[in-house]
Parts: sequence; structure tokens; C-alpha cells
Amino acid sequence: MPTVRLRDASEYPEPARRLFELSRQWFAYDFKEPPAMSRVMAWDPHFGGPHGRAMKRAMAPGEFSRAEKEMVAAAVSGANACTY
Amino acid sequence: MTGDDCWYEAAFVVGITNALNVVADGLAATLPPLDAGAAGPEAAAIFAEAQAFYGLPAGEVPTPLAVVARDPAYLADLWGAVKRAFAERRLSGRLKEAVAFAVSLTTRSAFGTPFHLGQLRRLGVGDPGVMEIVGVTQMFSSYTKIADTLQLSSDMADIAPVDSSGVPDTHRD
Repeated sequence: MPTVRLRDASEYPEPARRLFELSRQWFAYDFKEPPAMSRVMAWDPHFGGPHGRAMKRAMAPGEFSRAEKEMVAAAVSGANACTY
Repeated sequence: MTGDDCWYEAAFVVGITNALNVVADGLAATLPPLDAGAAGPEAAAIFAEAQAFYGLPAGEVPTPLAVVARDPAYLADLWGAVKRAFAERRLSGRLKEAVAFAVSLTTRSAFGTPFHLGQLRRLGVGDPGVMEIVGVTQMFSSYTKIADTLQLSSDMADIAPVDSSGVPDTHRD
């Protein structure tokens, strides 16, 4: 059970909903509601904006592919004992 | 990178990396690493193999192997698992070292972080590539703690496709 009530996409202002569309494109998956983390980050765009840009920069293909980085991210999440 | 076998390989790298790190970080100060002379011929042969595997100079042995060399039979099995986990199969050696580096950094391993950084560089990964792995590690060390603090449930736990490729040893290797 989340500590906070996650708002539905429709409860967010229009600029945040545009971010949800970017999130859908990023994950290439049609979630019924935007992913929980996207909705958390949209709660404060002044934090979520730069955090999300840093994440996208880190995950962009470079010496390692996006797929390889997703695997590293999964390993880091496992090491942090995070089930999300 | 499709198919569950990639994830099994990655999981084995994570596990054995952690196993090596806990011994090196937690034990080496009180149970000092043995050199080849003190460890005996069976362990010395494994040390030589490890030096070649990791491209280390003669006489340099990864700390966790040198610590557990007190039991050569155990060392042999441990090394067998390490070699298998890090061997290039579905995943490249550089990706496996990237995973090991990320896990070592995440768990603040004083042994594993510089060791796997050195291996990444030996395999041709430059500063930009290292920073890519640092960035992924850092950002997902942030996301995971935000998710845990808010006790979020995964959005993606149920969307992984069914993998029907089977257990690897039943159809190849």
C-alpha cells in the first residue's frame, strides 16, 4: 500500500499530462495509468523535470545500449532490494 | 536482449559479485589473503588462472580468492562459479563487468568498485562509458529509494513476455 494516494493522470494539470505522454513513449507501453513513478515525479515538476532529464541522459545509448543499461538498472534495483 | 537466459546470466553475475565483495570487504583485514607460496599448489594453479582471466600482473590475485585459498577445494568451486558467471555467453564480458561495477558501487564495496572499474577499462570502456554506468547506478539508486519511501508497487511486474526458450543446458552449451 503506497504511503501517498497516487493521483490519476486526469487530476494533474495539462503540462504534467504532456509529460505522461513522453513517459508512455519512453516505456513504449500503453499503461492504463502512467507509471507510478511518473506520477510521483509529476507532483513536483521542478524536481521531477531535472531528475527525469538526468535519467534519460544516463539511459541514452552511448558506449552501452539502452537495453544494456536497463539490465544494469535492474541489477542496481536488486542490490537496493527494491521491488518497484 | 530478449529471453530469460540473459536475466539468469545477469543475476548470477550480481550474486557472485556480492559473494566476492563480502569476503574481500568483510574479512580480508582479519583473515589476510594468502600468496601462492602459502596457499599451496592447487590454489596457486587457480591463482594463475585468475590472473590470466582478469589480465592481472603476475603475483596479483583478487583478494577474495586469496582469502578463501585456505580451503583449496572450496576455492576451486568458487572460482568455477566465478568463471562461469563472467564468461561471455548471451551477455558480453563488458556488460557483465558493468553490472558488477554497478552492484559494487551500489553496495559501497571497497574491493569490488575499483576492481570492476579496472576490468571495465581493461575491456576498452572509456570515461564516457564509465560515466554512463555511474549515471544509471546513481539515478536508479534515487528511484529505488523514492519508490521504497512511498512504498510503490511495480507497474511492470506482470508485463514481461513469457519466455519459451527453455533451460539453456537442455538445448545448447
